[in-house]
Amino acid sequence: MVNILVAGVGGQGLVLATKIIAEAGMKAGFDVKTNDVVGLSQRGGMVWGSVRIDKKVNSPNIPVGEGDIILGMEPLESLRWSYLLKDGGRIIINTRKTYPSSVILEKDIYPEDEIKALEDGYKATLVDAVKLAKEAGNIKVANTIMIGILAKYLDIKSGIWEDVLKENVPKKAIEDNIVAFYKGYEYS
Amino acid sequence: MRQLLTGNQAIARGFYEGGGHLAASYPGSPTVEILDSLKEYDEIYSEFSVNEKVALEVAMGASFYGARAMASMKHVGVNIAADPLMTFTQTEINGAFLLVSGDDPGMASSQNEQDNRIFGKFANMAVIYPGNSQEAKDYVKIAMEISELIQIPILIDITSRVCHSRSIVEIMDRKDVKPKGFSPDREKYTMLPPHTFKAQHFMKDRLSKLSEVAYEMPLNQLEEVEGSDTLIITSGLMYYNLKELNLDVSIYKLGLVYPLSERRMQELAAKYKNIIVLEEMMPFIEEELKLMGISSKGKEYFSFTGELHIEDIRNGLIKAGVIQGEEKIYEVTDTVKRPPMFCSGCPHRPVFDVLKKLKVRVIGDIGCYSISALEQWDVSQIMISMGATVGMTKGMNKVMRRFQDDQPLVSVIGDGTFFHSGMTGFVNLLHQLDEEDNMTFIILENSTTAMTGGQANASSGNYNKNDDMKVDIKAMLSSIGFDNVREVDQFDYKEAKSVIGEEVKKKGISIIIATRPCALRFKIKEKNFYVDPKVCIGCRTCVKTNCPPIRMKKYQGIDKLKSFIDPDMCVGCSVCAQVCPVGAIKRAF
Repeated sequence: MVNILVAGVGGQGLVLATKIIAEAGMKAGFDVKTNDVVGLSQRGGMVWGSVRIDKKVNSPNIPVGEGDIILGMEPLESLRWSYLLKDGGRIIINTRKTYPSSVILEKDIYPEDEIKALEDGYKATLVDAVKLAKEAGNIKVANTIMIGILAKYLDIKSGIWEDVLKENVPKKAIEDNIVAFYKGYEYS
Repeated sequence: MRQLLTGNQAIARGFYEGGGHLAASYPGSPTVEILDSLKEYDEIYSEFSVNEKVALEVAMGASFYGARAMASMKHVGVNIAADPLMTFTQTEINGAFLLVSGDDPGMASSQNEQDNRIFGKFANMAVIYPGNSQEAKDYVKIAMEISELIQIPILIDITSRVCHSRSIVEIMDRKDVKPKGFSPDREKYTMLPPHTFKAQHFMKDRLSKLSEVAYEMPLNQLEEVEGSDTLIITSGLMYYNLKELNLDVSIYKLGLVYPLSERRMQELAAKYKNIIVLEEMMPFIEEELKLMGISSKGKEYFSFTGELHIEDIRNGLIKAGVIQGEEKIYEVTDTVKRPPMFCSGCPHRPVFDVLKKLKVRVIGDIGCYSISALEQWDVSQIMISMGATVGMTKGMNKVMRRFQDDQPLVSVIGDGTFFHSGMTGFVNLLHQLDEEDNMTFIILENSTTAMTGGQANASSGNYNKNDDMKVDIKAMLSSIGFDNVREVDQFDYKEAKSVIGEEVKKKGISIIIATRPCALRFKIKEKNFYVDPKVCIGCRTCVKTNCPPIRMKKYQGIDKLKSFIDPDMCVGCSVCAQVCPVGAIKRAF
């Protein structure tokens, strides 16, 4: 069983990210279930998705303390959902911050210290996925870089990931996404 | 073939495989995607209607012709559709009729949490409750058969979590069914007394028939564990959450939650010492059992509001004595909140920035502009339901006038909401008009139903040639009898500010149509803006427009914080540059 929580900000494309991860799981022969948050929260609010991959999955919901991996598309959102992780769980954080309204309005401080502390409690991978995406020539492939990093920790062959990416991204962006996936896969 | 589908996609697929002919809907979370997914099937006529009542009526028409029909909507949409529904359900259903209601335990994106299973019972419908995508697809197909077999309309009640959750579904071929056609029958189809007298008995009889069949219907599954003196009765996703706990107790899983088989329930009650009902929101099944005189417990262990997570179920069952152990209260991470914001380039931003500066009383409505009621804006002060702003504004104004309170009122409404149920309110404004009234209505015409993902609405065709409806809101309001209707492009901030300011001061009814389209559906692709920190005085006027890329920043060599715009997020709408008092914000080149 692997429980993956994808966390981010509305508009970052989380629904597609959870779909890609789940389809890869299915193609690898597992049962999968996912959740997504859809609705008003899309507008720059907190959004999350979950993917559970196992021989058989009952609920799409990840029980508290049973999360294996957080795929954090944004640091604050990675922190927010960290309570779901098991001890020694893995957390992959895109370090590119999106400031919430109250921080923009200087009523709250972005919780840098608490986010930094995640590195002590969990196996953490930090990456500026937006920077890497720009290097890959397409700012929109940041999530695919994150998925590439995630793929290192899942028992799913890279050929399956390639197939799923091809089926899910716009035709003209396939090549950029494959490049991005391997950029993530090889990231350390 | 196996496919990973959301509950919504699975409902669409089930309707297709089951030989569905026509589907209508009004976009509302969590069910939007059902109709979006049906578009790929040429065999099915589908439409987003102007509101849920019309969607239901369109589906009713198809069913009367003997076609298989489905109307889908969010839970509160059923309130809008309730008038035709409550009378239609009296008729003897010809072509299968399904109403899909997306309930929202926990209110992830809804203004209330009403439990529409009760609506199903109220309307004398059967209520079917799927728990994952395979069930959603299968149940829709079974529901179509039941609907035609005993001529009953069926409510497919599905919760938001199941709508949006993906799971693996076995894909099958479509069953080809021809509509039976319409044979006029006054007593069956014209619902007026005395024809309605017989209908009451008909409704009762068909539910009795169904409750007999429910005794051993495959929709309801009994999993008995040898030696268990507890039976948990549950349905939908709660069954799958319960299964996570791996308990040695008997479970009765209901796919058909109304009507129940009394015979089956009495048999089970005689066999089990404890009957526990696990259900989200209201104690619907629990009360049905109690009406049968069966002692059951549920809501004393499980919350009446919000979603029931695996942990909540565990805690409830510990309270009930079914599981030994300690209740665990889990703590979520307490950190900075992230409420939704208007997008970069959102046309609502300048309108609400102006209204905030005017410090005027604003009565809001449902749409992305509901964000104006959140703390960071605090502009819209009342928000209830689709289209309600118009009537509420009139009502408040009328009493204010009688009690010598002459402050102006502003009402905001989007174009989708205007067509959905705002128009009637506008007609009603003309009744007992008083020239001393001071109401300003701002119609935010962004050319789409934005909050649910950018579906076309009745005026989208004026902006986008692929959309077919081209209702001209200004011409419509003028022809109804409003003589003061003005259009403004709110991206001309100065002009928008002066038009809104003038109209708010002016007595009588003012209508302003703000014409900029949604920045998500009709992307702005302009060069981004940047702040020149040497010119910026740090006044934060731009920051207060609450645009995602704009914040204060410490620049090297400058003591005071100055504004900064993230170039990766800015779409170049120019509103910040226009509100800047010193010209510090410039377009990149």
